Amino acid sequence: MTDAVVRVENVTKRFSGHTAVRDLSLEIPRGVIFGLLGPNGAGKSTTIRMIMDIIEPDEGRISLFGGPGKGRELSARIGFLPEERGLYKKMKVLDHLVFLAEIKGLSTGTARKKAGEWLERLGLGDWADKKVEDLSKGMQQKVQFTGTLLHDPELVLLDEPFSGLDPVNSQIMKEVVIDLARQGRTVLFSTHIMEQAEKMCERVVIISRGRKVVDGTMAEVKREGGGRHVALAFHRDPAKAAAVLRDRAHVANLDDSGATAELELAAGADPDRLLADLVRSGVGISRFAIVEPSLQSIFIAKVGAEAATAPASEGHNA
Amino acid sequence: MHKIWAVVRREFVERARTRAFVIGTILGPLMMGALFVLPILMQRNTRVKNIIVLDAAQGGFGARVETALAAARRSEKPDSPKRYNVSRVSAEGRSLDQVRDSLVARTDRRDLGADQVDGIIVVEESALTRDTLSYFGANVGSPAEMGALSRTLRQAVLMEKLTREQISPQVLSSVVKPIALQTQRISRGKLTGESGEASFALAYAMSFVLYMALLIYGMQVMTSTVEEKTNRINEVLVSSLTPFQLLMGKVLGVGSVGLLQLSIWAGTAYLLSSQRERIGRMLGAGSEAVAAMPIPVIPAETFAVFLLFFVLGFLFYAAAYAAVGSACNTVQETQQVSAPLTILIVVGLMLMFRLLDEPSGTMGRIMSLVPPFAPFVTPVRNSLSPLSAGDLALSVLAMVLGVLAMVWVAGRIYRVGVLMYGKRASFAEMFRWIRAS
Repeated sequence: MTDAVVRVENVTKRFSGHTAVRDLSLEIPRGVIFGLLGPNGAGKSTTIRMIMDIIEPDEGRISLFGGPGKGRELSARIGFLPEERGLYKKMKVLDHLVFLAEIKGLSTGTARKKAGEWLERLGLGDWADKKVEDLSKGMQQKVQFTGTLLHDPELVLLDEPFSGLDPVNSQIMKEVVIDLARQGRTVLFSTHIMEQAEKMCERVVIISRGRKVVDGTMAEVKREGGGRHVALAFHRDPAKAAAVLRDRAHVANLDDSGATAELELAAGADPDRLLADLVRSGVGISRFAIVEPSLQSIFIAKVGAEAATAPASEGHNA
Repeated sequence: MHKIWAVVRREFVERARTRAFVIGTILGPLMMGALFVLPILMQRNTRVKNIIVLDAAQGGFGARVETALAAARRSEKPDSPKRYNVSRVSAEGRSLDQVRDSLVARTDRRDLGADQVDGIIVVEESALTRDTLSYFGANVGSPAEMGALSRTLRQAVLMEKLTREQISPQVLSSVVKPIALQTQRISRGKLTGESGEASFALAYAMSFVLYMALLIYGMQVMTSTVEEKTNRINEVLVSSLTPFQLLMGKVLGVGSVGLLQLSIWAGTAYLLSSQRERIGRMLGAGSEAVAAMPIPVIPAETFAVFLLFFVLGFLFYAAAYAAVGSACNTVQETQQVSAPLTILIVVGLMLMFRLLDEPSGTMGRIMSLVPPFAPFVTPVRNSLSPLSAGDLALSVLAMVLGVLAMVWVAGRIYRVGVLMYGKRASFAEMFRWIRAS
């Protein structure tokens, strides 16, 4: 047996009218930060909820920690941040955290001590005696995030942990997640923000419309992301580059952000020719580099077309 | 166990902290105290009423009415204060209506002091043939005062009629004495010294308190279940707790808040009733007034049975309400789905009204063994005429079985329901969840 903390095998989940997850398999080794990526409605939340045993798969199986126990039975070893956040609005922050820890099996004393420490660490010390409803959304999210970690879980499932957070709070949470991995804990988080995943994840799986389209370590994914990629930055008249960038002889895939762009060179295309064409177009170039593909561009190349046509009903269970 | 305890404590602390709970808990004893003290204070301030007998009859009829009224006392004891100051005005030679109107002008006049008129009785010859007397006064709306007045007058009219038939005065006075029916409750083969009215009032009060408490606290369990769903806190809860732990924690938590509140209320009533003499003395009221207090004597045993059946009834209904809450998505939806439960509770209350007439009849016996109704029926029957230990035990047993069955059913609905989002579950679906393993 490999040392997989989570093993999902050929799992399919259907909701009335559509298939949310289709024949999905993935493995999360111990101690890694694992990114579950995909556009909105791809089936990320459904997958995480199946791992947590909140909903049951229709087909396939999920095993945790190499044993037969299900997510809810092993709840003391798992921390779970659902996508739909929810706290008791009228409770005081500290009391709430103590409650969340107690229902994971911690004694009241330990729970109180841990909750106090975590609140200090996340800069919420002054808010311990405030009611949850008096906190901003971002702060509430940090409180709930804290609630998933109080019992020192071996496996942490975070569904869109960074959504709605400002850069400062995002950074704080990111540091906490990295710290968890350093302590040998396993973190699975889902996101549709690729920059975040690229910086943090050792392994990623990208799913689209319930199907896995990419799976591997970050290095593998980038290597397979293939081709030669060029990163561009413009300091003047970026519009003039448009025609060149759309030329299929040069460019196979394009992620155009206006002032910057990343593209995958078409087969047989010559980067020198591309540069020459760009210079001739009159655009002011401040960067031209042959790079590894970014996760974002791989994501767009793999799921871009599909995501754009995702049926509306896929938002149903997200 | 620790986990259930954490849920129980959370529910208890968060509810007991709310303003609604604090106010409700304090308001109960305050109202009871007021109910107890106000009548004493009011009675102390009751003036002796000035009554004018407007005599338009022949012979001694008017004088007889005057004497009868002047002899009327506040209670049956001879030393109790008199009810009326009576004076007689003859209508001789004047129009009856004119005299009456001049007297009416003297009513409601504080400035006249002792000359103020509270009421006028017109005594006419026709009273004897038509059996009718007329009374004019500001206090005609008070059933108690009108009852006392008409009792006195009936006697005077009867006396007058019999006198005119030449019956001797000695015979008369012994014949027309009213009979006072003094009731006392028998409990377990012993006299209790408690009046029938008091035990009726107690049964009545208990049924209402049970009805209100089961409905209010049951609904609280339901609302809080739905709110956890709308809050989306459910996923966190069910990832840490089994649905059964969650259900039991919630039911027990809300239940202990209810039990606390009821105990405070019932405890106050108990204290007031057992200390009634002392409180009465402190307020300077006679023992007469104290005995007439609307607070019934509560035997400790009745009290214990009442609380026991509140607990059992609460567990039964709260589990059911929790199941309903789990099958709905919004508080509005619960109102439709919970209707059958609410109807059961109302039927329980209705049954009790029937039972007040005949507490030990066949219907009473049967209903004491039917779980949805037993929480209402048994304590009320027991307060009206105490049940044997065997009957009581049987009812408790039926109730315990009912609670276990209901918790089992509710647990199965709850298990599926708490994680269902989207549409409201139909009764057919709930039935499927119960059967699914």
